Amino acid sequence: MMALRRWRAAVARRAAGMSLSARLLLAASCVLVVFMVAAAAGLEQAFIQSALQSERDRSQGLVYALLAAAESQPGAGLSVPLGALPDPRLARPQSGLEAVIFNSRGNAVWRSPNLAGPLPPVTAPSVGNSLLEQTDKRFVFSYGVRWHAEHERAHRYTVTLLEDDTAYEAQLAVYRHTLWSSLATAALTLVILQFLLLRWSLAPLRRLAAEVRRIESGDRHEIRGHYPRELTTLARNLNDLIRNGRTHLARYRNALGDLAHSLKTPLALLRALAEDEAMPEALRRRMDEPVTRIQYITDYQLRRAAAAAHGVLAAPVDIHELTDKVLSALAKVYTERHFELRNAVDEGLQFRVDEGDLYEIVGNLADNACKWARHVVMVSATRRPGTTLVVEDDGPGFPADTDRLLTRGVRADTRVAGQGIGLATVADIVLPGGGDIELGRSATLGGARVVVRWPA
Amino acid sequence: MRALVIEDDKQLRQLIAGYLEGDGFVVDTAADGEQGMYMVEEFPVDVAIIDLGLPKISGIEIIRNARRKSRAFPIMILTARDGWQNKVEGLEAGADDYLVKPFHKEELLARTRALLRRSGGWSQPQLESGSFVLDTAGKVVTVDGHRVELTSFEYRVLEFLMMHAGEVVSKTTLVEHLYREDEERDSNVIEVFIRRLRAKLDPGATLNPIATLRGSGYRWNLPRG
Repeated sequence: MMALRRWRAAVARRAAGMSLSARLLLAASCVLVVFMVAAAAGLEQAFIQSALQSERDRSQGLVYALLAAAESQPGAGLSVPLGALPDPRLARPQSGLEAVIFNSRGNAVWRSPNLAGPLPPVTAPSVGNSLLEQTDKRFVFSYGVRWHAEHERAHRYTVTLLEDDTAYEAQLAVYRHTLWSSLATAALTLVILQFLLLRWSLAPLRRLAAEVRRIESGDRHEIRGHYPRELTTLARNLNDLIRNGRTHLARYRNALGDLAHSLKTPLALLRALAEDEAMPEALRRRMDEPVTRIQYITDYQLRRAAAAAHGVLAAPVDIHELTDKVLSALAKVYTERHFELRNAVDEGLQFRVDEGDLYEIVGNLADNACKWARHVVMVSATRRPGTTLVVEDDGPGFPADTDRLLTRGVRADTRVAGQGIGLATVADIVLPGGGDIELGRSATLGGARVVVRWPA
Repeated sequence: MRALVIEDDKQLRQLIAGYLEGDGFVVDTAADGEQGMYMVEEFPVDVAIIDLGLPKISGIEIIRNARRKSRAFPIMILTARDGWQNKVEGLEAGADDYLVKPFHKEELLARTRALLRRSGGWSQPQLESGSFVLDTAGKVVTVDGHRVELTSFEYRVLEFLMMHAGEVVSKTTLVEHLYREDEERDSNVIEVFIRRLRAKLDPGATLNPIATLRGSGYRWNLPRG
């Protein structure tokens, strides 16, 4: 009982994951097979009935002819003279047609000349009735008669014809073969037609699925194709959903930006107050610590809140272009260092990562690299197999305990500015989404190397 | 040096202006985008500090407009939105550096001075030209290693000339960039200051660091470095 339930659950699970076209094809094929088998069985039965009926009719005719030719010998019973046999086959041995007449006691009173050997057991039908049996590769047709001869009392006889059924069986075999092969051909044709039909009618669904996949992989912004009426609404709603998700995020970011603005301006004033030399030294020292803490906490929490989750609906971002923008901005800030800021990202490469997050990641990592590099900072990226970003420089590289630089759970207000805060920011953005950051040494430039990987 | 501060928060605006004035700048301030846009176009400006989140016209728009009108002075953006997208947008629009609120006074002044130096073609905080060295951080001038005592206005004239080494600077330009609006302006006074500077820097009149170009103005005559 338990096993049955488990099996049914397993089947249900498998079926639940089946594609629509597979379901339709399977269901239609099952119906088709049942229908075809039932039709074949019915047709075969009808054929057999009609063949047996014609056998019965022919035999009946022959029995009548035999009776017409029969003579009654007093004391010996009914017999058919050799010269009066209605069918020449009855005289020829091995012809496949034999006849015998039984009396009421079941003894054979006459045999056709070609009939030798033991007689089959015969069920005697009542007078005026016939009986067709198929036994031992023979048709046995029996007919009951009451024979009134002159000067004698009436005798009851059974006239039996034994006919070989080889011809009948052969005919049936040919019919069966024709029937099944033509039905199978028809079924196969129907299944193929059905398959093509399904493909054609489900094509819009497949197209829609492909478009959604392309949106997921970042090749597309929205669903654009033309769809049948039933799907148009769905496609439109999907587009609305995608757009809403994006504008919602943008609105949310703007609100956070405004919040940051309105918090930080007074914070800047407080900071100034803490540095104002007109204030008593002791007060300044006491103010400095809480102001610094408020500053770090607002920075940290605002940044965390603004970091988008790794959204399926994030619009694709041209990472080469974005890197170009960040590097040319940094080139301005570090103009005196005469860096070579190398954008090694393939042109046109697209990342399906939120644009704001990408700016934050590339900006922080490249800025860090600029702080430590001697001459060269390089940004590279790949999308296959996984979405990966690499920032490396030719500076002194990371200290030995790189883990500390990324440590999460370090309280925001205890973080120190410099290398750490940029990396921690990137960690805050990448790690919650299932991504990964690896710190190491650059093989090409010899300095620090940071690899950021997003989940596939 | 004339600095323009565009910041909508009154207290912060006064604070920044105070910092810069304390460092020897002549400061103009604007409280919104519209006023800022006008001042960027019309005022003599050596360096501008522009907040990105301004009412009426955004800071980005002001920067773009300034660069469109070929106003080449260095611009520092001041932003509370410390996202990189904002910084990149500002720098892309034509700003030269950014400062995130809240900031330290020293950082603001150091970055502003560095921007000015860079735009004048100087790469070190000490402007060295011949035997003259002007330390922009300490506001100290030495000739052959000997300190020269200058008044604050004399220092400002010298700094302006050295920043624009090789360029002809008219008396009007000097007046515009070194006097506040409300101060009495008299370009004849400039001649007096130049004379005094020459006497202090080059008592023997052998080096001739400041050349007079009759009818057009003055020029720092020695090469950079």
